[in-house]
Amino acid sequence: MQTLDIISINIWQMLISLANLVILFLIVKKFLYNPVKKMLEKRQQTIDTKYSEAEQAKNKALSDKQSYEEKLLSAKQEADSLIQSAVDIARSRENTILLDAKQKADGILRQAQQNAELETKKAEKAIKDEIVKVSTLIAGKMLEREVNEKDHKQIIDSFIEEIGEENEGN
Amino acid sequence: MANTNRRFKFVDIFYIVMMIVPLVVGVIIQVLTKPLAEGITLTGARIFYTVPMPIQDLVITEAQINSALVIVTILFFCLYMTHGIGEHIKLKRQHFAELIVEKVDGLVSENMGEYFNGYSPFIIAILALSACSSLVSLLGMFPPTSDLNVVGGWAILVFILITYYKMKCGPLYYLKGFTEPIPLLAPINFISEFATPVSMSFRHYGNILSGTVISTLIAAGLSGLSAMIFKFLPGFLSQIPFLQVGLPAVLSIYFDVFSGCLQAFIFAMLTMMNISGGFPIDEYEKRKLKKLAINK
Repeated sequence: MQTLDIISINIWQMLISLANLVILFLIVKKFLYNPVKKMLEKRQQTIDTKYSEAEQAKNKALSDKQSYEEKLLSAKQEADSLIQSAVDIARSRENTILLDAKQKADGILRQAQQNAELETKKAEKAIKDEIVKVSTLIAGKMLEREVNEKDHKQIIDSFIEEIGEENEGN
Repeated sequence: MANTNRRFKFVDIFYIVMMIVPLVVGVIIQVLTKPLAEGITLTGARIFYTVPMPIQDLVITEAQINSALVIVTILFFCLYMTHGIGEHIKLKRQHFAELIVEKVDGLVSENMGEYFNGYSPFIIAILALSACSSLVSLLGMFPPTSDLNVVGGWAILVFILITYYKMKCGPLYYLKGFTEPIPLLAPINFISEFATPVSMSFRHYGNILSGTVISTLIAAGLSGLSAMIFKFLPGFLSQIPFLQVGLPAVLSIYFDVFSGCLQAFIFAMLTMMNISGGFPIDEYEKRKLKKLAINK
C-alpha cells in the first residue's frame, strides 16, 4: 500500500480538513453550544422572575404590615376616645345625680325643720293654753270666788307674753 | 411516563453506541489494512484511494478517514451531552455540558474581548477536533494531526479569519499596516504575516509527529536491547522483547495524552490571540462612529 511522505503538501486534503473544521464548528454550535446557552438563558430568566416576584411579595408584605399597624393604632385611639367619652358621660351623670340627691335631701331637711317648727309652735300654744287653764283654775280656787273667766284669761295671757318676751330676750 | 423514560434511555444508548462505533470502525480499518512493520518504518498516512483532480491528485488517506470518524464521534458526543438537559438539573452530564460552555466562554471573553463572544463554538470545535484527533493514537489509529495537510487546513482557516478581521477597516488600512513602524520593514512584515499559519500548523503537526517518531524509535531500540540482553534464553523466549513492557506506556502518557491536549490548547490559544490581536478594534470603532455621523 502506498503511503504519503512524512512531509507532504496536498491542497485538496487541506481544503477537506478546512471544511471539516467548519463542519465541526457548525455541529458544535448547533448541537452543544446553542442548546446549553439557551438553557442557561432560560434559567437566568426564571431566576430573574423569581427574584422580582419575591421582591414584590416582600414589598406587599411590608406595605400590608404598615397598613395593619396604622389600623391597629387608629383602633386603639378609637377605643381610648370611646372609653374617655364614656367616662365623661358617667362623670356628668354622677354630678347630676349627686346634685339631685343633694337638692332632694335639702328639701326633705327643710320640710322636716318646718314641720318641727310647726310642731313646736303647736306644742307652745297647747302648753300656753294648758297653763292658762291651770292658772285660772288655781286662781279661782285661791280666791274662791267666781271671776270672770274672760278677764282672767286676758291678764294671764299678757303675763305669759311678758314671761315669754323675757325668755326670748334672754 | 415509563414509556418516555424507556425511550429516553434508548436514545441515550443509541448516542453512546454511535460515539463508540466510529472509533471501532477506525481500529478495524487499521487492523485490516496495516501491513506488519519490519524494523523502523516512519511513513506518512497511508493512501486508500486516489481521485484525479486538477493541479494535484486528491488522495483519500487514513488522516482524512480518521478525521471524519472523529467528527462523527464528536457529533454524537454533543448530542448525548445536550440530550435531556433542561432548566432544572436532572442529569449529571448537564454539569459537564455547562462546564464546557462556560469555561470556553470565559476563556474567549478573557482572551478575545467582548466583540468576539461568538467565537466560543469555534474554539470548542478547534479544541475538540485537535485533542480528539491526537488522542485517537491511543487506540492505535493514525492520528490525523500528525499529517501536515490536516493541521495546515485549520491554520489556513485561521489565517483567513485573521486577515478578514485585519481588513475590517478597509484594504488600504490593512496595507498601511505593513509599513509600520518604518516602511523599510515591509518585506519582513509581509513574511511574518504568512509565517503565522505556517508556524501554527508546523508546531502542532511537528509535536504530534515527533511523539510518534520518538515512540517508534524507543520501541525499536528496546526491542533490540532486550534481544541482546536475553540472548541466553533458550528458543523463542529470546525473541520476546521484555523491555518493551512499561517504558513505552509511560512515554505514551506524555507524547499521546499530554502533548496532544497541550497542543490542542496551544492551537486554540494562538487562534484566539491572533484573531483578536490582528483586529484594530479602536480604529474600527472610530470609523463606525464616523460613518454613523455622516449618515445622520
